[in-house]
Amino acid sequence: MRPIETRYALSGDVRIAYQVVGQGSFDLVFVPGFISNLDLHWEDEGYSRLLKRLSAFSRLILFDKRGTGLSDRVDAHHLPSLETRMDDVRAVMDAAGSGRAALLGASEGAPMAMLFAATYPERTRALALYGGYAHFHKWVMPPERLEAFIETAETAWGTGATLPNFAPGRVDDAHFAQWWARFERLSASPTAAAALARMNAEIDVRDVLAAISAPTLLIHRRNDVRVDPDASRYLARKIPNAKLVEVPGRDHPIWTGDVDRVADIIEEFLTGERAVTEVDRVLAALLVTRIYDTARMGDRMWGERSQRFQEIWRQQVGRHGGRLAGTQGEMMMSRFDGPARAIRCAAALREAAQGIGVASAQGAHVGEIELRGPPVGLTARVTMQLASHAGRGDILASRLIADLAVGSGLHFADAGRITLDDLDEPLALVHAMSEQHLEPDCRARTRTTEPAVLTARESEVVGLIADGKSNAAIAAELRLSEHTVKRHVANILLKLDLPSRAAAAAFSVRHTGPDGP
Amino acid sequence: MLTKTQAVDGAAIKKAIEGRDGKLLSSFYTDDALVRVIDRNNPPSKPREIRGRAAISTFWDDICSRAMTHKVDTTIADGDSLAFTQACAYPDGTKVFAAAMLELKNGRIARQTVVQAWDE
Repeated sequence: MRPIETRYALSGDVRIAYQVVGQGSFDLVFVPGFISNLDLHWEDEGYSRLLKRLSAFSRLILFDKRGTGLSDRVDAHHLPSLETRMDDVRAVMDAAGSGRAALLGASEGAPMAMLFAATYPERTRALALYGGYAHFHKWVMPPERLEAFIETAETAWGTGATLPNFAPGRVDDAHFAQWWARFERLSASPTAAAALARMNAEIDVRDVLAAISAPTLLIHRRNDVRVDPDASRYLARKIPNAKLVEVPGRDHPIWTGDVDRVADIIEEFLTGERAVTEVDRVLAALLVTRIYDTARMGDRMWGERSQRFQEIWRQQVGRHGGRLAGTQGEMMMSRFDGPARAIRCAAALREAAQGIGVASAQGAHVGEIELRGPPVGLTARVTMQLASHAGRGDILASRLIADLAVGSGLHFADAGRITLDDLDEPLALVHAMSEQHLEPDCRARTRTTEPAVLTARESEVVGLIADGKSNAAIAAELRLSEHTVKRHVANILLKLDLPSRAAAAAFSVRHTGPDGP
Repeated sequence: MLTKTQAVDGAAIKKAIEGRDGKLLSSFYTDDALVRVIDRNNPPSKPREIRGRAAISTFWDDICSRAMTHKVDTTIADGDSLAFTQACAYPDGTKVFAAAMLELKNGRIARQTVVQAWDE
């Protein structure tokens, strides 16, 4: 496919950027919310998935409102009224040769789409409103909260600081948070963002609802963090020919959360036909990686290392020919075409984790997954449970992985069986052994617990722990900060694979030789 | 409007399509007609199927609501079979080319297969 062409429609004397994609027999105009950027949308997985789904059954017309994205900038201190911005929709439709279109209004785009439908009934084929509202202060935020939001927008615009206001479920997704920060920067300037927020706060289209004659679909996520679901319930009562569908979820942007669910509902409403479910299932090896024993690290250290480890995870999964399949809490899931790749990636991740001072615990399993969307079925659940059961540094895999990886040169050791709620039969397990464990397991273990692996400073610290000294006392004696001592202790426990200070003390006593521990 | 005795022919189709007359176009079909569309999103093994005059009517209304030009170039008729090609252009320059094969029944379109390609 050729790159999507961006064109400009003239609305008064302002150029409105728009894109047309898809070959459907009817037109669908997507009216975006607060801010948008036509180019950037295609770079986000969820956004581009949404657009691809919509353009599969329609001729999808996309645009950036004046003052945002690729459209002309306007005087941020004199932003145009909702009516003028609504007229941009008409200008774009004219330029694209659309006489009549279905409109999909998302968030702030919804009141604009409603105003359009009431003003141009003959040009509105149908109306689909997602996370919409008729009155800002009533259903989005009261004036006092608005001021705080605008202050955030003005002082921290472009850093992604507004993300928690829209998609709290994605705050921990570093990749998405970075995209969101770019999305802010490339969609509006700080002044324009604040002005837009103020202008949106004046939205009140309650008077026009009764004048909407087009068939209307309302979709709202039940726990929408930005717009109260009551907003759509109100619209359902006031718009004559409206149908409301509430779906689970709390993230507000239409391109986050379960995008396919939303696209399915829109497609069925607009085409009268249920989306053809792609029941395509493929065999895949899943790997779930987590950081082991997070409680031992302070919040800040955990945050930094977790972020660093996630970056490494992205790199390693790509390097091993896998695909990222999403994160769920502390679980990072990736999928591979073959089990050997998954295990090699797991071994690389285990090593990388040690390099940044954390320990990993991983689970791997193989089974059928749905081709569409992130893996959520049985195979995914089993893999996550294996990762939960995995101990420090372990790569706990189902026996199936080992059977399929025969001939790959990888080595596995029996790890018993596990009973899982999802499975009728206990699942046979193996431990994947990394390259240095190709020697007999016991020798490798001995080697990792030799005191020689400790640095001179760490040996000193172990000795002092054995003397029963506290971190503060050790810090004083070695003229180090207490923080540094804590780090040494954590590293010692990690290297020796020991659960506590007491165990380290016992270890030190056991290993005291002529040269000390 | 089509009279009962008048069968659909290339000239009538050309006039209706080029005049973007959705109502007239819909009247050419039998009540249980089937239109199949094959394009990038609707591959040959799973073409888009539009069944019945009501759905076909919506289909043509949607297409005819677009401010675009249509030119029906070649029409070939052979008994109850009819074929034509159609070149279309949107005001922003995007072009669409379609070829259609039709089967007639009692002078009305009973089955139509459209293969189309778009600039994009």
